[in-house]
Amino acid sequence: MSAHLEATPTLNSEVGEALRRVDDPEYPGVSIVDLGLVAAVRIDGRCVEVDLIPTFSGCPALAMIAADVSSALGQLESVDDVEVRFVATPVWSPARITPAARRTMAEHFTVAVSSIGRPTRCPRCRATALVEESMFGPVRCRSIHRCRTCGERVEVIR
Amino acid sequence: MRSWRSVAEFESFLDGGGIVEPVDDMPGEYRDHVFRFIELHANSELMGGLTERDWIPKAPGLRRKMAVLAKTQDEIGHAHLLYMVAADLGVKTRTEMLEDLFANRSRFHNVFHYQAVTWGDQVAIAYLVDAGALISQQAVLKNCSYGPYKRILRRIVAEEGFHMRHGEEMLLVFAQGTEVQRELFQAALDRWWWPTLHMFGPPSRADDPLLRWHIKSERNEDLRDKFVQKYAPLLTGYGFVPPDPDLHRDPDTGRWFTGEIDWAPLKATFSNLGPDSARRVGDAARHWRDTSWVRDALETIATRPAAA
Repeated sequence: MSAHLEATPTLNSEVGEALRRVDDPEYPGVSIVDLGLVAAVRIDGRCVEVDLIPTFSGCPALAMIAADVSSALGQLESVDDVEVRFVATPVWSPARITPAARRTMAEHFTVAVSSIGRPTRCPRCRATALVEESMFGPVRCRSIHRCRTCGERVEVIR
Repeated sequence: MRSWRSVAEFESFLDGGGIVEPVDDMPGEYRDHVFRFIELHANSELMGGLTERDWIPKAPGLRRKMAVLAKTQDEIGHAHLLYMVAADLGVKTRTEMLEDLFANRSRFHNVFHYQAVTWGDQVAIAYLVDAGALISQQAVLKNCSYGPYKRILRRIVAEEGFHMRHGEEMLLVFAQGTEVQRELFQAALDRWWWPTLHMFGPPSRADDPLLRWHIKSERNEDLRDKFVQKYAPLLTGYGFVPPDPDLHRDPDTGRWFTGEIDWAPLKATFSNLGPDSARRVGDAARHWRDTSWVRDALETIATRPAAA
């Protein structure tokens, strides 16, 4: 997914750098760009439009993320006007999370990211021995698992 | 599995920043203290989540409802994880912990022994109680010696930070709002100021085992002071008046001092004899009984012989 993001030329600009400094409110240290929440950025003169995709519709952090994006871009010299929109397509999936963000989430938050076609590894011991204990974690995008190898209670982004 | 030849050796392991894992042969007293601490936290998340849930239908507007819904899910989810981690210590099962809670045999934080009367109370809870909880949890996280709890706290602290931002945003609306809104928050502040100061606990004993075992890293009174130094100026700056005639700022040092704290209301909550304890515990116990059919059904599915 990072390939797709790099392919968006605007993300290499000053605007892109500013977006990379906006962290997800629930994962301090993990940027919304690395979580794959940024679908598109359009720069027209001194106006910037950002399309964001929610991990889940109804995610309670959306308003906060939009406010953080507006404030981060609004501080740039080159930007007068910021428009943040939430779009329904593309649909967000854990596949959009970059390897760097996966590492931070595993190491800092003991949160694993599920991937299609591959068993999910325990963020602590790397074993592929996670058993789902509850479909419902503290947030809608995570379920609770137990690692049969090291016994850790792990949350998985699904 | 690691083991220690003596309690003194175990303590020097902890003093050196050692992290204990569930498989380790930890001293029984340490196991009991960690267990009780996590059980209290789990009970409080559950009771807090149930209270929060009562406000989903009453929250003003869709955005606030979404926030209350999310907070409810956060808190129930935290309780869920914490009960698992507590049960892994092998002192009580998850069911025993819940049954003890509903039969008044165990405790939960004092702030959940009071009634939230108006939406203003919810704003005060989000602004003050959530902030106080975050201060306490950040202090535990900083130096917590029990690995599984420390790792879950990292996520809890990140999520509580998110609650706090929501509380700050709501407070701003009320602080800049109409006279009615300001009065609503002031009345709530009158009710929640002291319970929030109590939440940090009575002054720590010099030999507090929770400090000695690196379960907590700061004394209760230091955490309370941190809260007062931050929130007394913020609240008074917005023109609100905490219900303490002796609250004042030393003009030379700039430090804030509260009046003498009456500990009797806190002690009452320790025996579940707070103003709203009976209703809260009764409601939680009723929910537990009313949902027994779900647990029975899951149990039946899990133990049913596979179809031939």
